[in-house]
Amino acid sequence: MIMDGLDSVVHQPVRLRIMAALTELGPKDNVDFAYLKKRLNLTDGNLGSHLQTLETAGYLRVEKTFVDRRPRTYVSATAAGRFAFDRHVAALRAILHS
Amino acid sequence: MQLSPEDAARAIAAVEESRAAFRSALRANRGHLHLWLWGAIWTTMALLMEFSGETSVRHFPWLCLGGGLASFVIGRVQAAQVRVPVDRRFLGVLFAVVGFALLWPALLIRRAPTNELGFVYMGLVVMQAYIIAGIWFDTYLLWLGLLVTVLLLVGWWFVAPWFWLWIAVCCGGTLIGSGFYVRFLMR
Repeated sequence: MIMDGLDSVVHQPVRLRIMAALTELGPKDNVDFAYLKKRLNLTDGNLGSHLQTLETAGYLRVEKTFVDRRPRTYVSATAAGRFAFDRHVAALRAILHS
Repeated sequence: MQLSPEDAARAIAAVEESRAAFRSALRANRGHLHLWLWGAIWTTMALLMEFSGETSVRHFPWLCLGGGLASFVIGRVQAAQVRVPVDRRFLGVLFAVVGFALLWPALLIRRAPTNELGFVYMGLVVMQAYIIAGIWFDTYLLWLGLLVTVLLLVGWWFVAPWFWLWIAVCCGGTLIGSGFYVRFLMR
């Protein structure tokens, strides 16, 4: 739900941290699930459920693949996700300065 | 969705904290490990030539092979954590330029007249690759490649009596120092 640029999907604290981290990557770069989990200090279940919510909203892309015959999950922010996150942060700053 | 300025401040603080932590983690995934590794190898090769004599040149291929394998492993581990799409055209250009620069002298000249000249030539070929990568991706590698190129040529033309010490300190040292810059100072 989006109101005045604030996005309730993005605003949830864990999802806000996930989007903040993913938008630090280049537009075509993506990050390993385990690496992201470790950096954000989250559990598998917690990160997985929030990634699913963000993926459903179209804000990130999840790709499952194999590296050296081991399953890996890679995550990246979509253009829509970057836009929503930037707009949300801009709205937060507007509130702060109002 | 209603937020107070305090809520907004907390959310922005969380964003900044997460960004800073992730940026710091990404810094650990940059090229500094390769620069430290190859700086140490250059320094080792040059110090071996300076203090153990000309026969030390027989260790060079093994040092370079070990360095190449270590670089490959570092690259694989880093690429598994953060995937950056590979530009195949860049790889093609790099292999063509470096391959030709190594292949034809090896076939046509066979052996450099002196170990010093051979080292300068190989070093210049590697720095050529750094410069190409720097131009292609707009990174620090351009400036590093130019700087070490100049240092190699200065060592060859003007510091011949202390050539290997010059290479160890100035060229190997520059690679190692630039690794520290990339890891800790570069944004």
